[in-house]
Amino acid sequence: MRADPGTATPALSVVHEMRLTWRYASGTAMERFLAGLAERRIEALRCGGCGRRYLPPRPFCGRCRLRLSDWVPVRDEGTLDAWTVVHLPIVDARTGEPRPVPYGMGLIRLDGADTTLNHYLAEADPDRLAIGLRVRAVWREELRGALDDILHFEVVP
Amino acid sequence: MRRVAVVGTGQTRHAKAREDVSQPELVREAARAALEDAGIGPAEIDAVVLSNMELFEGRALPELWAGEGAFAAGKPCLKVATGGTSGTSACIAGFHLAASGLFDVVLVAGFEKHSEGHTQTGMALTDPFWDRAVASGAVGNFALSISQLQAERGITEEQAALVAVKARRNAARNPHAHLQMAELTVDEVLDSRMLAHPVRMLDMCPQSDGACAIVVASDEPARRLCPRPAWVRAAVTRHEQPYLGDVDRRLLTMRTLRDAARAAYDAAGIREPLRELDVAEIYEPVTYAELAWYEALGLCEEGEAGRLIEDGVTAMDGELPVNPSGGVLSTNPVGASGVIRVAEAALQIHGRGGERQVEGASTALATGYGVYAWSDVVVLQAEAA
Amino acid sequence: MILEGSVRLPFRYAAGTTASTFLEALRDEGRLLGSRCPACGTVLCPPRLDCRCGERATELVEVGPAGTLVSWTELPGRGAYGLVRPDGADTAFVHRLLDAPESLRGGMRVHARFAEERSGGIADLAGFEVAS
Repeated sequence: MRADPGTATPALSVVHEMRLTWRYASGTAMERFLAGLAERRIEALRCGGCGRRYLPPRPFCGRCRLRLSDWVPVRDEGTLDAWTVVHLPIVDARTGEPRPVPYGMGLIRLDGADTTLNHYLAEADPDRLAIGLRVRAVWREELRGALDDILHFEVVP
Repeated sequence: MRRVAVVGTGQTRHAKAREDVSQPELVREAARAALEDAGIGPAEIDAVVLSNMELFEGRALPELWAGEGAFAAGKPCLKVATGGTSGTSACIAGFHLAASGLFDVVLVAGFEKHSEGHTQTGMALTDPFWDRAVASGAVGNFALSISQLQAERGITEEQAALVAVKARRNAARNPHAHLQMAELTVDEVLDSRMLAHPVRMLDMCPQSDGACAIVVASDEPARRLCPRPAWVRAAVTRHEQPYLGDVDRRLLTMRTLRDAARAAYDAAGIREPLRELDVAEIYEPVTYAELAWYEALGLCEEGEAGRLIEDGVTAMDGELPVNPSGGVLSTNPVGASGVIRVAEAALQIHGRGGERQVEGASTALATGYGVYAWSDVVVLQAEAA
Repeated sequence: MILEGSVRLPFRYAAGTTASTFLEALRDEGRLLGSRCPACGTVLCPPRLDCRCGERATELVEVGPAGTLVSWTELPGRGAYGLVRPDGADTAFVHRLLDAPESLRGGMRVHARFAEERSGGIADLAGFEVAS
């Protein structure tokens, strides 16, 4: 008896669903940022070296390699720096369920920040989206101190 | 440090699903082909470097399970992981091992079996605080940057479609390639399903099952084993800040690739890459990225990438054929994709490219791309310097 | 602060042609197969396509169902597990031991017991029991 790959023997497969749970420590910068969101307050971390204001607040400046601790206020309104409308459903890693499509995504430079935030857009029509549009955050009614306290950004009419 | 060369390459048949083999068997298929190409047996391998993205297969310690496939039992064996760059980074690690003088012959093997897991979900398992609540997968992330490429460089959907057509038509001459579409047209690309505006199905790389291996040798064994070794003239890797929004206009600026390319060209004495390179195998996960990489690699001035593809400068019969293999757009087993770039660049110098051979190729470029956060650039040459 | 989360990831692994043949013989015929390397003569069980000597072990041969217990351990609450080398094979593999741990000794003769209901997986082999 022989078994060569590619011969007629139907190959068996093993089906397995992996379920994993975990606990992540936020670190102090993230903790402060998330606590701010629960009060509709957005803050960026400013680099003492180059002055770049990071939003999301990063613990380090990747350019100057400095630890950041200088908090500066940021508005919940800003400018659209990049956009797309997603049609390919991806599985939400948090729930295991596909996310409904289409939906808009954007990189948003909030007033007072120098980096951009990746978040959802309320608008999903490509003809109504453009780089440079003004957008503002739409907040969840019951804030809980998580990134999705901001539901999405809507185009300022 | 000693000079090193790629003296053998091997790859599997790449396909949507390779159910006829298990993961270690897939790796062995490529490893055996590389050893045969180099004309050596397993005993002549001094060390093994592996490349794989274990989350895609959900299998802990792939270096343990797949190492056997790469003849690693009884030898030094390690895994290198740097996102999509993993394969090129593993090759560079292999170069370093051989250049150090510690090992004479090193086998580098990369593999992925996307059919066995759920790649898009795996990709979304990044930063739990920033990324998971707003993940849009690899396609969504690319699409965001592409809106900037279109706005600032005027890149059109038609120009991107030309990249797709070039890749899949080239792939039709590569017996290993996953997507071989000799008759693909621009209209078919533009009519394919929208994934994330403006990226369509045929703009994106596939997910493939496959493996690729190369044999790296230091000076003396390289000359003994290979009539025309592909000498490593430069091997540069650069890392970047991680968060999507940390780096301004990532696809346009692509600091990692620009810096790595500049350093590699300096090391290899290349001043005019478009003229001096004979062939390039670049890691283009999406059509638009290939156009952005033309600029970052110094193949054209800012804003000229669209013209390059329209004029056929990077076609098989152009001044610099880019991706005669069909590229990542035609074959993408992620952990292997970077190894494939280096292998394809090397086999062009070996003169073993078959129907995809660029006649007389003596200077070849290979690049790796890893989620914007890594770029690798390798220059191979027929002359040892 | 601590963020708690969970994720579900689906997988479907191909056993490959060699392991599929092994699993089919186990399921359909209640037989254990090993793969024999024509170059070095090694018989691998469970069978693998690629021999450790570098050649392809494509010849499948029946091994067991009797074998030798190489070593064993007890997992509290989960019974005993051992490394068993089936007769005719040169390698040993890990599986359940069905007897009380007190009765086990390295070097004992054991015998495969196949599951009543078999569906195409390694659990089709219920485990090994001490040969009477």
